[in-house]
Amino acid sequence: MRHLEQELVTLRQDIIDMWKLVISQVANSGEAILSFDKELATKVSMREKKVDAYELKIDSECENIIALHQPVAVDLRFVLAVLKINSNLERIADFAYGISRVLITYPSVILDAEIIVDTKLNEMIGQVNKMLSQGLEAFENEKSDMATAIFSEDYIVDEINVNATRIIADYIQKNPDRAFECLHMIAAIRKLERIGDHCSNIAEEIFFYLDAKVLKHSPKK
Amino acid sequence: MLTIDAKNVDFYYSDFHALKNINLEVEQNKVVAFIGPSGCGKSTFLRILNRMNDLIPGTRLTGSVLVEGQDIYAPGIHVDELRKKVGMVFQKPNPFPKSIFENVAYGLRVNGVNDKTFIEERVVESIKAAALWDEVKDKLKKSAFALSGGQQQRLCIARALAISPKVLLMDEPASALDPISTAKIEELIYELKKDYTIVIVTHNMQQASRVSDKTAYFYLGELIEYDETTKIFTNPQHISTQNYITGRFG
Repeated sequence: MRHLEQELVTLRQDIIDMWKLVISQVANSGEAILSFDKELATKVSMREKKVDAYELKIDSECENIIALHQPVAVDLRFVLAVLKINSNLERIADFAYGISRVLITYPSVILDAEIIVDTKLNEMIGQVNKMLSQGLEAFENEKSDMATAIFSEDYIVDEINVNATRIIADYIQKNPDRAFECLHMIAAIRKLERIGDHCSNIAEEIFFYLDAKVLKHSPKK
Repeated sequence: MLTIDAKNVDFYYSDFHALKNINLEVEQNKVVAFIGPSGCGKSTFLRILNRMNDLIPGTRLTGSVLVEGQDIYAPGIHVDELRKKVGMVFQKPNPFPKSIFENVAYGLRVNGVNDKTFIEERVVESIKAAALWDEVKDKLKKSAFALSGGQQQRLCIARALAISPKVLLMDEPASALDPISTAKIEELIYELKKDYTIVIVTHNMQQASRVSDKTAYFYLGELIEYDETTKIFTNPQHISTQNYITGRFG
């Protein structure tokens, strides 16, 4: 195996490992907020540093590969894509941490089961987890069509987000004493919506790597 | 463990002060690349490492150069013995007008090895180590000149390896080769460092970055910067090094 190939194999494995960690961070933060599990929220918080360490390691690997090996064609697209996927994964992990942190900062916050159902929070968490896993599968199996399917998944997340604003506003009017909890809930929903956007960004990078096409800022429907 | 340890080395071609107070250490099983503009002294320093400059009239060296702890310029050192330990590969492939087999066996024979079985084994091992075996195994008796330039250069590497050196010096070993042959030589260097310490002079900065663990930048006879290759190519400490590797100078 060529020297550059060895470096690329290591980089690929590192981003896959980071991806799996971020998937578990998002899943755990979702489960924590739905079940008010402070222990799980603390676990997410503790593992955040591990994600940050991966980000720095992968940044450094990309920098060295570009500086020392001057990759071209598919190798260059791979390194550039990994560099950007790395940033997106780190941001996703930050959001997961932010969602779970509410339970640590405000241990008394308990969301009303009714509003959880009405806003489809559960479905939203499942949706972003699905998008994140789908991205990893597309990357690992080098299937760009699997990546592009993520764009339509993101519309579902966006729709839940838009509807949730109206539903929560109505709920606050009816239950003004629950406004504090509702503000945290809307913040969590916004974070999930941003995770969906980052999954779409990742899908664009996978497409760029595999098919050499730039989908950024273009209609995806 | 240090394989090469140069201390306070100054070198003169008559009145010309070609190298100025060079201090450089090379660890075992590492690849070190010397880079710098023409006339900076990098090839002169490489040739110092196996006393290739000795025959040039008017040259003078001060300081010390240790190879595996032994001062190679100390009185009583036999250059032939030194060159068994420190092999060299040149810019242009220079096979002898002999068969492929005899080219590789040459170093053993001139060093008095007569054991036919040993020579055969060593020739095969060396050609394999030089990543040439698959291409020549059926034509070992053919002339070395029948090989392509890239194959000839790998044959020269095999010839250097046959006498089991500790250090391999390479003076722009791929500059006369096409990109595919160059890539093969670079991969070979990467493989060979498991067993040898390698010092390579190259004008090709990308080659230095691809193959070496450490890089030394020479300018006007001085060693300006010597550090990990990752550092030299991502964050050099001297503006002169940065200007050179970014192509703004030299």
